[in-house]
Amino acid sequence: MKVVVLLSAGRHPVSGLGALPRLEAQAIRLGAALGPMRGLHAGPDAEAVAEALGRGLSEIDHVALGAGADPVPALAAALRAAAPDVVLAGRRGQGGDETGLVPYALARALGATLIPDVIAARPGSEPGVIEVEQALPKGAARRLVVRSPVVLTVHSAAPEPRPYAFGQVRRGRIEPLAVSAPEEPAAVAIAEKPYRARPKMMRGAPAGGSAADRLKAATGGGEAVQADVMVSPEPREAARAILAYLRQVGVLPPPARAG
Amino acid sequence: MTYALPALVFVMVALATVQTLRRAAWWRLGAAAPVAWGAGLLALPKRYLVDVHHVVARDAYASRMHAVVAGGLLAATLLAALAALPPLGGSRIYWAAVALAFGVTAAGAVLVGARRYPKRPKRLSGGGFQILPVLLLAYAFGGLAAALLLAFGVASAPALVAAVALAAGGGLGLAYEVRSGPMRHAVAGALHLIAHPRPRRFDGGAPDAALVALDLDAPRLGVETPADLAWNRLLSFDACIQCGRCESACPAFAAGQPLNPKRLIQDLVAAATADERAYAGSPYPNARDVAAPTEPLFRVIGEGARIHPDTLWSCTTCRACVEECPMMIEHVDAIVSLRRHQTLELGAVPAKAAATLDNLRAAEELGGRPLAARVDFAAGAPLPVIGEREVDVLLWLGEGAYDLRYGRTLRALVKLLNMAKVDFAVLGAEERDTGDLARRLGDEATYQTLARANVATLARHRFKRIVTSDPHALHALRNEYRAFGATYEVVHHTAFLLELVEQGRLAPGALGGASVTYHDPCYLGRYNGETEAPRKLLDRLGLDRVEMARHGRRSMCCGGGGGAPVSDIPGDARIPDLRMAQAAETGAGIVAVACPTCTAMLEGVTGRTAEVKDIAELLLASVEAGR
Ligand code: SF4
Ligand code: SF4
Repeated sequence: MKVVVLLSAGRHPVSGLGALPRLEAQAIRLGAALGPMRGLHAGPDAEAVAEALGRGLSEIDHVALGAGADPVPALAAALRAAAPDVVLAGRRGQGGDETGLVPYALARALGATLIPDVIAARPGSEPGVIEVEQALPKGAARRLVVRSPVVLTVHSAAPEPRPYAFGQVRRGRIEPLAVSAPEEPAAVAIAEKPYRARPKMMRGAPAGGSAADRLKAATGGGEAVQADVMVSPEPREAARAILAYLRQVGVLPPPARAG
Repeated sequence: MTYALPALVFVMVALATVQTLRRAAWWRLGAAAPVAWGAGLLALPKRYLVDVHHVVARDAYASRMHAVVAGGLLAATLLAALAALPPLGGSRIYWAAVALAFGVTAAGAVLVGARRYPKRPKRLSGGGFQILPVLLLAYAFGGLAAALLLAFGVASAPALVAAVALAAGGGLGLAYEVRSGPMRHAVAGALHLIAHPRPRRFDGGAPDAALVALDLDAPRLGVETPADLAWNRLLSFDACIQCGRCESACPAFAAGQPLNPKRLIQDLVAAATADERAYAGSPYPNARDVAAPTEPLFRVIGEGARIHPDTLWSCTTCRACVEECPMMIEHVDAIVSLRRHQTLELGAVPAKAAATLDNLRAAEELGGRPLAARVDFAAGAPLPVIGEREVDVLLWLGEGAYDLRYGRTLRALVKLLNMAKVDFAVLGAEERDTGDLARRLGDEATYQTLARANVATLARHRFKRIVTSDPHALHALRNEYRAFGATYEVVHHTAFLLELVEQGRLAPGALGGASVTYHDPCYLGRYNGETEAPRKLLDRLGLDRVEMARHGRRSMCCGGGGGAPVSDIPGDARIPDLRMAQAAETGAGIVAVACPTCTAMLEGVTGRTAEVKDIAELLLASVEAGR
């Protein structure tokens, strides 16, 4: 299975110094389980992503672009030529001008499925199929089986990145890649505004009463919280209760009704 | 018959030479290293009689034992060889002298035996080492009997033959043991003293503890197999007599972490030797499983290799082992060079350490915090930031400045500097981490980047000297940045405050009553030889100062050095708990510290009865009491 991991010129959120985004370092580790992998970066300076070579990647293709140019056409052209089965990217940018939309734009350009927030991936049971674990809110996760080509964006709950090894950077290779794609400035469709704190609405919270009452109502505290506690139940009974709960919270579909 | 003993000596010397040459083949597997042979040879007597003896003498019994047995052995053997000269061989006075020398050897051999039988102290190795007294006794008593027979002119051939045979049994055994037995330490030890990789440590000045800079363009970074070590490092490991002094001093060993410096050195010997005898000393505590010993010259570290990575990462780089080693072995150099390979080539660092190194690389600070926040501890107190003007003192704040507890110490220090009207300033947001932690964790690349950046920053400013309360920063700035052509006068805050008190710029009053014990930071005491200024300062405060059993250059580590807190290798106990228990034994109500790491480690001990206070805090309290 051919894997390409997209690398961006990120910045450390505090110091502002150049750094490989952590999500992309995690993507490299995640992709290693799938097959031979190359990095791909489109931008003015390949050195910005050299750190990825110390994280377990041995080769990076670099498409030289002018500063401020839109990387999507170049990346799409490169990916079309390489035709990987899996494209990995971080779920969000960690740099200057990044919008986090590049993986979506590429999936559209390539006609590939995009699965966001992936925490694990492995080859599926038959060729061309990949088994993917996707993070859901509140620590939940689900398993998906998808057919390649796919674009996967990596969630921060994926396994820790591999520690950086300086010596491997020296051995890694960055190769220039020429693509024929129009170089045009990125369309800046975003407006920047200073941050304004907005009150958070608590759904279902009563408007009146004291602050303590509203908190109780919002958090479901107050009266003894309903809980189903079964002490040494029969296995069948326990299994029924678990199934009923899983259906209630929507992990399992409702029972199929005959007729 | 007068030629029997000298003949034996010549055979012994020949056998020992053959055995040494066989062993030398292994040393030559190591990498090349520059060695000043002439200077080393000339310095050998002084290095042996002064430097080695200084360490050996800490164990009075061992020191006496060694002087008698080694002195007797050398004297008796040399004297006996002289019998080959005709006039001597016939002189009964001469034989009486030979008998005397063998008698001394015999007394020494008895001392050696008495230490190991009936019960051998835990820190000594058994195995082949248990045979040593037997060989010594045989050689000494055989030689003694033969020399006595000749001295008294007893012409009994059978008696003489029996005596020389006994001496031959012992003597040839000793000579044979030069290759892989206990006697190896004598030959390898002497050669090691001549070709020592750190000849400067014998110069008598401050300790030579700065790590050697790594060439980042070298084809292979750090030490993977024993052949990556310099040949004189391999030689140095052969000097080990397995006395276990390093093991008794090692804090990680005491805490039940899987590290034993003696075993580590023996593992490195075995890793470079095909037929090394089985190790018979104390093991690594809670030893992790490793694969069966692999063939020699294979990679040393790994779960499938000879030494488990946890062993490597347990070390606090406290240098207690180096300080205690009578054979002048440099354990910390070996450990760091092994770590360098793990970190730089394999990226095999413990997870928490990896996150810290990421921060150091991308934020130039190990917590990933803004550099400008380093001065936040001052909480509004006047803290001048350096500008165009030259200042007398540049105050290097270090990592401790981000720590809430340590902020109190730094505020006390700043207050004292202001009281004494010291012309000082800090670098503010221009101060980066010194890279000390990265270096100890083997990340020489990050260390060198940070060091170069700091040297460039310091070159932009004008100051007379640097004062810091962080011994780790002090060691980096004073000793290790020299490799980047930067020489600064760096003063520890305790020495600087003592200076201010002695000049009368600060007037401490008596704190009275309380008793205090001072915990020496490894990077100040053992790494820089500074143990007196803090004590003198404490004595000015009218406190009742008591010493812990382990203090000064022989102090025990708090457990905070060498990245041990971020590597976090589990053991049976925590090193700071052990150290605070030692402090509690003195009954002192205050443990005085002089390092941000010691402060954090010792104050983090639960259920402690003593207060942990930096010397700056104590001085401030006393100055305020004196007003
Ligand atoms: S430096 Fe300290 S912790 Fe490391 S092996 Fe030596 S004594 Fe043990
Ligand atoms: S390394 Fe030094 S202190 Fe440790 S056992 Fe060997 S000779 Fe003794």
